[in-house]
Amino acid sequence: MIWFTAKRLLSGVVLLVLVSVGTFFLAHLAISDPTVNLLGGTYTPEQQAALAHKIGTDRPLLVQFGDWASHAVRGDFGTSWRNFQSVGDQLALKLPVTLSVVTFAILITAIVGTAFGLIAGLRPGSIFDRVIKAVSVVLFALPGFWVSLVLVIWFAVQLKWFPAVGYVQPTQSIDGWLRSITLPAVSLALGAIVAIAEQLRNAVIAVDRQDYVRTLRSRGLSRARVTVHILRNASPAALTVLALMFVGLLSGAIVVEAIFSLPGIGQLTNSSSQIGDIPMLLGITVISIVFVVIVNFLLDLALGFLNPKARVR
Amino acid sequence: MKRTPLAVALAASAALALSACTGGGTDAPAEGGVTDLNIGNFLDVTSWDPSLADIGFDGPYLSAVYDPLLALDEDGNPTPVLATDWTVSDDFLTVTMNLRTDAVFSDGEKFDADAAVASLNYLKDGARSSEAYLNVTSVTAVDEDTIEIDLSKRDDTMLYLMGLGRSYMMAPDAIAAGTLATEPVGSGPYTLDADTSVVGAEYHFDKVADHWDAATYPFTGLSIYPILDATARHNAMLSGQVNVNYADPLNQDQAKEQGWNISSKVSGWVGLQFLDHTGKDLAPLGKLEVRQALNYAFDGAAILQSVGAGSGEVTNQVFPVGAGGYDASLTDAYAFNLDKAKDLLAQAGYADGFALHMPMSPIFQQWQPVVEQTFGELGIDVTWDDMQMPDYQINAPTYPMFISFLAMDANPQATVARQVTNVQWYNPKPEYAQFPELASIVDDIQTQTGDEQLASITKLNQKLTELAWYSVWYQANNMYYSTEGITVTPITGMMFPTLRYIQQG
Repeated sequence: MIWFTAKRLLSGVVLLVLVSVGTFFLAHLAISDPTVNLLGGTYTPEQQAALAHKIGTDRPLLVQFGDWASHAVRGDFGTSWRNFQSVGDQLALKLPVTLSVVTFAILITAIVGTAFGLIAGLRPGSIFDRVIKAVSVVLFALPGFWVSLVLVIWFAVQLKWFPAVGYVQPTQSIDGWLRSITLPAVSLALGAIVAIAEQLRNAVIAVDRQDYVRTLRSRGLSRARVTVHILRNASPAALTVLALMFVGLLSGAIVVEAIFSLPGIGQLTNSSSQIGDIPMLLGITVISIVFVVIVNFLLDLALGFLNPKARVR
Repeated sequence: MKRTPLAVALAASAALALSACTGGGTDAPAEGGVTDLNIGNFLDVTSWDPSLADIGFDGPYLSAVYDPLLALDEDGNPTPVLATDWTVSDDFLTVTMNLRTDAVFSDGEKFDADAAVASLNYLKDGARSSEAYLNVTSVTAVDEDTIEIDLSKRDDTMLYLMGLGRSYMMAPDAIAAGTLATEPVGSGPYTLDADTSVVGAEYHFDKVADHWDAATYPFTGLSIYPILDATARHNAMLSGQVNVNYADPLNQDQAKEQGWNISSKVSGWVGLQFLDHTGKDLAPLGKLEVRQALNYAFDGAAILQSVGAGSGEVTNQVFPVGAGGYDASLTDAYAFNLDKAKDLLAQAGYADGFALHMPMSPIFQQWQPVVEQTFGELGIDVTWDDMQMPDYQINAPTYPMFISFLAMDANPQATVARQVTNVQWYNPKPEYAQFPELASIVDDIQTQTGDEQLASITKLNQKLTELAWYSVWYQANNMYYSTEGITVTPITGMMFPTLRYIQQG
């Protein structure tokens, strides 16, 4: 188990280094002179040179990279070129917003998706199963941003149950916080719920046909205990999809954060890209990879817990 | 000031979804007028430090917490705020300002000449604010309420830029502490409530009880929501979360249904920016007939209607419609006439057209089809070099011409400087000096004052139009929605007006 954990962590570090290096050089290749965007319309060559010196782009690229990497390994991602504030501080402000929404969405997805998938899988061909399949097709077909807009119009504009835009910190008001993340989370979760439900349904049907399930039933185990066994053996596939979705939802947050005007990582990525704020983009990249690595690591641990054979890899 | 391209696009499906919505509505104004102002701005504050801020859209944020030395009137003329009056020396190299003595910073420091000098020196060295003080050599305190600004050469745009948002006064201790970016300390009508504000989502302000200019700021409560997406801003307005909104013209019909006030004013011109009037890199562009042909060939009214939702003014000038220097009699100088364009090309020896490369970025793609179609009619073979927006601003000026959407200034002297004579990202090598007929008028402008100068600016505009210096299709509006009881007065040059232009009524 220790070797398994060490290998997973090592591969995560390699991924982090490779993507960070790639992002650094690709970003500098794509934005040849960031001072032009940062200064705007009116500037003199002296001002441009002064800004280049201030942000360090007057140095050779390898020197810039060495400087950035040496600070980044110590958790210092430098300062934003847009407002000259600490990248780390701004990420610390934005990350909780995105994580709130994505985690809430995953929670909704896991609970509702599992319930739907289990019920449909235990009763294949039933009316409930057919309804789930039909809803799945519809939700898959609908664009996410359109669903988000409809939710806003119904629940924020018409009924005024939730705010149309904005984010409330949990330290200010738990109720306000939940209200501010509910519609974005539901928007993100709707597509994911049907994916999980479909995945779990098929796995439950397959497991339900296994000999050992028949044996469990023949031994007189209660329906609930048999269902627990079925769920435990059917869940790895859905769990893998859920973990992949967590990563996918992080990028999906860009659209949802725009529609609900949430000050999260997605919005920060958007604004930083437009102005060519490379230190901020690098910080976002690193933090995103860290989350991908952590989620995958936790997934491996969970799969190992559910299925001991998975630990021998 | 950042010359941000102003293009705004909305997904058609989103518009349809919104047009189906009939709910929401606005809260009726309370007796005595609306007391709380909730603004939906289209970008987050760049920085609370005025030396790093973008005056294009940071106006509502900064004008809440800082008082400027000067503001602008609706025509772009500097007006007194903390500076009560000023004089310019006969040689135009010294500006002497008298200051108020009753303003107090939110940290308790008193505003005086020393504080003004500290702020101006800080702004002069600022990464973004220095644009206003390029020719300033020194700022000195003459006495407790008088300062003197010395210049190395005459600068007709300095006072305008100061009024536009480059003269916010900061508390000297806060400047020294280097904390302004996150903790603004000014003498403005409100203070930022950091406890209830959420960075990037909503900023709440407390009204200063005894502000010296309280009458200009009638709202008791103030909140500003940076909402980047136009649809989200509109939804926030429909749901009642905001009562003033940077608007999308596509939603005008629904705004009228809701009974909202709609105000708009031209903000930027759309068309082709020519950078090779001598034909050095693209010989055809050096010919007057070709540039004129490229003016006749575009149907500005049709483009404004189809791309700009009709929100703007059809004109061929870079001086804002109705502002100083603008000449209404020139409006039809290049009325759409494709046949005439073809004739002019033939006269110039390009009956079969010519080939050129032009830059393209996603934000300008809404005008790409019309350029391609029009150039196709003229036999002009255009190859598009695709690039992302940050690179467009860097690379576009290296092409002989490019599609542009450039912000305008209400002030005519500023228009001359920013559109003709000064180095800008969109005009890196001003060519006016190579055209004696333009250079002589510019020389006149730079030595004249008052009505005489304004007459010369109008003359320059006429000559620029005659020489087809640009191919302007139309001037696009900035539009704002406000609920009943609130009026917004747009100012050309400000993407979002400062708080003094948002009033009860």
